[in-house]
Amino acid sequence: MREGLLVILFMIALTSLCDTVNQLFLKSAIDSLNFSPKFNFIKIFKFIFQLVIKPRLWLSFLFSVISLCIWLLVLSKADLNFAFSADSMHYIFIALASRFILKEKFSVLRWLGTGLIVTGIVFVSLS
Amino acid sequence: MFKKKVTLKVLLLLVASDMLETAIHFFFKKGALAQTEFSAIDLPNAVIFLKGVFSSPFLWAGLLTVAVVFIIWATILSKIDLSVAVPIASFSYILVPVVSVIFLHEHISALRWAGILFIIAGVILVSLSSKERIAESK
Repeated sequence: MREGLLVILFMIALTSLCDTVNQLFLKSAIDSLNFSPKFNFIKIFKFIFQLVIKPRLWLSFLFSVISLCIWLLVLSKADLNFAFSADSMHYIFIALASRFILKEKFSVLRWLGTGLIVTGIVFVSLS
Repeated sequence: MFKKKVTLKVLLLLVASDMLETAIHFFFKKGALAQTEFSAIDLPNAVIFLKGVFSSPFLWAGLLTVAVVFIIWATILSKIDLSVAVPIASFSYILVPVVSVIFLHEHISALRWAGILFIIAGVILVSLSSKERIAESK
């Protein structure tokens, strides 16, 4: 597996990137709905129906299909525990996207936490 | 709109999504393993491989679980920020390696467990940072 490590890491990065784009579209679709925090079954079905007719949801779906296909190829080549741990590199993408695209607020503690997660990924990749 | 608070209900939804998420990756790995080994990753090989995987019942079990997780996840994201939800959901970073060792007989070195511990430490810090912000806004 050693010589293919870079190829596998690149494919995992590609999956993570598709996954981040998918999450961004999903979050954007959900945020565009006015939804009260109190839940019941009728509201949940109404919510899902309103979500399903959003084009952004289908873009999100498209990216998750691409992500799945690449992920299945990765799984055929690499151990699940390695692939899954390395896949946490989407934390980097999601942290950046949340901060700069969704404009969510970040505290020092949260940056520190994200940094630790990244350190963990490096350890997992080196082992 | 106030969407920062991680309530017990949201936490339970996150735990459920973690466990189901782990099941998804187990199913997908099983589906991928059922296919014959191919040497080079190129487009023709990838198409043949994916055709094979998509006819595996494991893959469809995985996708069914994905649909369930999707509904849970949509509910979670309507209540809290993406940058809070995703790190807390990363509890599956412990569950997946444990399942890999027990059911797939994979080997995990000490260095890799250390890496996983770093990831968990990061998750705890990120969770604390959301708590800190709730205290500030009160």
